[in-house]
Amino acid sequence: MFNRPKEGMPPGALPMLILRVLQSGSLHGYAIAQRIHVLSSEVLAVEEGLLYPTLQKMLVKGWVTADWGISETNRKVRFYRLTPQGRAQLKAELAGYNRITQAIQDILRTA
Amino acid sequence: MGELWRRISYLFNRRRLDAELESDMEFHREMAARAGRNNFGNSLRMREQSREAWGWTWLDRLLQDLQYGARILVRSPGFTIMVALVLAIGISVNVSAFSLFNMMALKTLPIRDPGSIVRLERRAPNASTSEMAYPSFAFYRDHAHALSAAIAVLGIPPIQIDDDLQNTSASFVSPNYFSELGTPPLYGRFFEPALDGSPASQPAVILSYGLWQRRFSADPSVVGRVIRIGRKPFTVVGITPYTFASLGGQHPDLWLPIAQQPYLIDNSKVLADWNSSSIRMWARLAPGVSAKAAEQELRALTDEIRKQHHDAVWDDEFIHSSPGGHLQVMQPEMYQVALMVGILTLLILAVACTNVGGLLLARGITREHEMGIRIAIGANRKRIFRQLCTESIMLASLGAVIGIFLSYAILRVALTQLDAPKWLSPVPDWRVLLFSMGVMLLAAIFFGFAPALQIARQRQRKTIARQILLAAQVAASCVLLIVSGLLARAAQHMLFTDPGFGYENTISINPYLDQHGYSETAAKSYLDQMQSRLAALPGVHSISLVRLPPMGHIVSREDTEINGRKIKIYPNWVTPGYFQTMQIPVLLGRTFQSGEKHSVIISRSYAHLVWGGKNPIGQRVPNSDSKGIVIGVVGDAHINALNDDDALEAYYAAQSDNMPGMVIVVRSSGLPSAVETAARSFSESIDPKLLPEMHPLKDLYQDITLQIEQISAVVSLIGIVAVLLAGIGIVGLVAFSVSQRTKEMAIRLALGATKRRLCAALLRQFTWPILSGLLAGTALAAFASRFLRVALFGVSNLDPLGYAAALTVLIAIIAVAGLLPARRALRLDVARALHYQ
Repeated sequence: MFNRPKEGMPPGALPMLILRVLQSGSLHGYAIAQRIHVLSSEVLAVEEGLLYPTLQKMLVKGWVTADWGISETNRKVRFYRLTPQGRAQLKAELAGYNRITQAIQDILRTA
Repeated sequence: MGELWRRISYLFNRRRLDAELESDMEFHREMAARAGRNNFGNSLRMREQSREAWGWTWLDRLLQDLQYGARILVRSPGFTIMVALVLAIGISVNVSAFSLFNMMALKTLPIRDPGSIVRLERRAPNASTSEMAYPSFAFYRDHAHALSAAIAVLGIPPIQIDDDLQNTSASFVSPNYFSELGTPPLYGRFFEPALDGSPASQPAVILSYGLWQRRFSADPSVVGRVIRIGRKPFTVVGITPYTFASLGGQHPDLWLPIAQQPYLIDNSKVLADWNSSSIRMWARLAPGVSAKAAEQELRALTDEIRKQHHDAVWDDEFIHSSPGGHLQVMQPEMYQVALMVGILTLLILAVACTNVGGLLLARGITREHEMGIRIAIGANRKRIFRQLCTESIMLASLGAVIGIFLSYAILRVALTQLDAPKWLSPVPDWRVLLFSMGVMLLAAIFFGFAPALQIARQRQRKTIARQILLAAQVAASCVLLIVSGLLARAAQHMLFTDPGFGYENTISINPYLDQHGYSETAAKSYLDQMQSRLAALPGVHSISLVRLPPMGHIVSREDTEINGRKIKIYPNWVTPGYFQTMQIPVLLGRTFQSGEKHSVIISRSYAHLVWGGKNPIGQRVPNSDSKGIVIGVVGDAHINALNDDDALEAYYAAQSDNMPGMVIVVRSSGLPSAVETAARSFSESIDPKLLPEMHPLKDLYQDITLQIEQISAVVSLIGIVAVLLAGIGIVGLVAFSVSQRTKEMAIRLALGATKRRLCAALLRQFTWPILSGLLAGTALAAFASRFLRVALFGVSNLDPLGYAAALTVLIAIIAVAGLLPARRALRLDVARALHYQ
C-alpha cells in the first residue's frame, strides 16, 4: 500500500525548511512552525513532535544556536539563530534539493 | 570535533538545557492555544525524543542498570561476597602470574635507555653458548660500529673477604658497566674507564647495598678503606644504591673491574685466551641501528676472527642478539614455560567462572518472578540481557579489585621470598592493570553470558547449560590435579629414588687450576699431591678426577640424531676411579686405563638406544663428534641433567691436556666438612694462591630437590584450590537440583521408592557431564603435559600412578560433593513436603 507522507511534508525536508526560514533572522520554535505553515500557503504543517527533536539534532550538528530573547507576548523564550555552518549546510541542501527536483522534473516531462 | 564538544557540554548542562527545552515547548503550547489549537502532543515523550538527539541515552541506561544491579547485589550480600571471592581467587592467580612475567620480560630496567641494550650470544646451527672469550669480546668492542658500547661481565665463584668464614658472591665487569647503566652510586664513585680500565690502576671494588648493610654495618666511611678479597688488597670505591638494577638480573655483592682479573687470580690467562669462553657480553646499539643490522655487522666480524684464530670460532658461528633491557633475557623455551603456566592459570579462572556461572543459573530460577514482572511491564529481552550482563561485569569488577589486592599481597611475599632485585615493586603497573581488566572482562563473559542469555529468554529451567558448565569445571580441575599429581610424583621420585649415583658424603673440590695459568705438568703434580694426601685421610674411600663437576655450573651437551631420534649426549672426561667414587655401577666391559685414548664408556640407555639388546662392547659410536670404541657400559646417572630423563652420558678418559681443568671428587665415610677443612689446608700448603671451591654433593642435590619440591607444592596448592572450587560448585548444583525436585521426590517416596533408587535418579543427570569432563580433562592433560617432560625428573608424563592418584582424588571429591546434598534431601518429611507445595 502507498504511504502518504503526513500533511505532504516530504521526509528529510524539515531541516532544510527550518534553515531557510532562519536565514532571514532568528526565530523561536513556535514562530518557525508558523512561518513554514504560512509561507507554504498553509499546505505544510510542522508537528511539534518532529520540530523539537529536529531542532535538537541541528543544535548537535552546530547548524543553529539558541539564545534567550523576549517573545511578542513578553515571555522569555529561546530564539534559534543560524550559524555560519548552518548557512553552508543550507546552501548544500538547497543545491542537492534543486538537483533532485530537476532530475524528477526531467523524468516527469519526458517519460 | 566541534560536535563531540557540543555533545559533552550538553552532558554537563543537561538539567538546564532540558528545562529550557521544556519552557520552549510550554511557550509553543500557549501560542498554539491562542491560535485555537489544543492538540499539542505528549511533551514528555517529545522531550525524550529530543534528548536522544544528543546521543547520551546509553549512559542513562547504563547508570540505571548499574543502580539496579548494585541494589540487587547489596540485597543478597552472601551471594555477592561468595561470588566475588571465588572470582578474586581465579583472577588473582592470573594477575600474579602475569605480573611475574611482566617483571621478567616486559618491564624495562630502570636504567638509561634500556631499549638499546642487547645481550649478545654465540650461536651456531648445532651449538650455542651464552659466554664468549675475552679477546673476541674485545675484538667486537673495538671493531663494531653498530655498537656504541660493549659491556663484559665475568662471573666468578664466591670468594673470601678478609678472614670471613662464608664466601661472598663476586663478578668482574668492564669499567663502562655502571656508566652505561647511568645509575649514580649511593656513596663514593662507580668504575670509570679512565680510572679502572688498566691492569696497572689501583685495584678497586664496589660493594652491593646488601653487603654494605650486613657486613660493614652501613658505614659510609667504608669508602676508601682497603679490604682483602681472596687475600688481595682492594680499595672500596663505591656502594650501589638499594634499588640498583643490574643487567641480566645478576646481583653479586662485590663488583670488580675486569682489568684486575689477572691480579686477583694469579697467572690467569682468561683475558688473553681466545678459547676460554667466560665473558657474558652486553652491548648498547648505536643510535638508529637496528639489532638485525648489528647482527649483520657482527657476523662479518666473526668471519674476521675465524681468519685470525681458527679454533676460536665454530663452523657457521654467528652472534645472536636479544633485547637486554629486561630482568630476564627471554629464550624461546622460556616462552613455552610461560605459555604452559598461562594455560594452567587460565584453567583456574575457568573453574572459578564455571562455578559462578552455575550459581548464577541457579539464581536465575529464583529470579524468574522478577524477570516475569519486568517483561510484563515492557522490558524487552535485549534490555534484560543487558541488565544481567551489567550485573556480571559488576561482580567481575568486584572480584578483580579484590583479586588485584590479593595478587599484590602474593607478590610482596614472593618477591621477598625469592630475594628479587629491590627495584622490583609488587605494585601493579599499567600493563598489569590492563591485563586485570582483560581478565575481568573475559571472566564476565565466561560466567555471565550463558546464564544471562538463558534468563533473558526465560529458559531458566533448562539444564543443558548447567551440565556443560559442570563438565567444563570437572575437565579443568582434572587437568590441574593431574599436572600437580605429576609434579608431586616428580618430587617424590627425586627424593626417594636412587638417582644412579652416590651423593652422600661426597664432595667436589674445584681448584680452578686453568684460571691460574697452570701448565699440564704443574696441574698434574698439584692434583697428584692432593689425591695422595686426601687418600691418607681416615675414612676416605675413593678419590678421582672429573672435568665437569657433578651438578656444577658448567654443562657440556651434544645434540645429535641416532636412528632418527633427536638425542642429547652429556659427555664428561674422567679418571678411571670416577665410577667407583660416584658409585655408578659398571654393567658391562671395564673402566678406563689411565689416559686411554679412542675409547668411550656409555650409559645403559645410550647402549640400549643404539644397539638394542646387543652387546655394544667393541662397537663404534655412530653420529657423535668424538668417535671411539665402546669399552664399557655403566648405569644411567644424569649427574649434570638431573631433571632430564632423556639425557644420555658418554665418558672419555681424561688426557693430560685436560689436567688444568680437572675437579677432584672425594667420597668418605666421615663428615664432608672434615674433608673440606683438610683439603683447604692441603691446597694452601701446595699453592697458597689457589682458592678451591668446594661443594658437598648432598647440598647441591638437596638444593635441586628443594626447588622441585617448592614448585610442586605451589602447583599442588593451586590444584587443591581448583578442586575445592569445583567441589563447592558441585555441592551447589546438586543441592539446587534436589530442591527443585522436592515434590517429585516426596511423591516417589510416598509411593514406596527406596532412597537408594531415588538418590540414583537424582544424580543420574550429572553422570554424563562428569564422565565427559573427566575424559576431556585427562586427554587434555596427557596432551599438555608433554611440554612438562623436562621438569619431571624422569617421571613419564603419562605416569599411570600420577594420573590414577589425581583421578581418584577428583572422583572422591565429586562423589562426596554429590552425595552429601542428595542424602540430606532424601531425609525429607514426606507428608510435609506434599502439603507444602
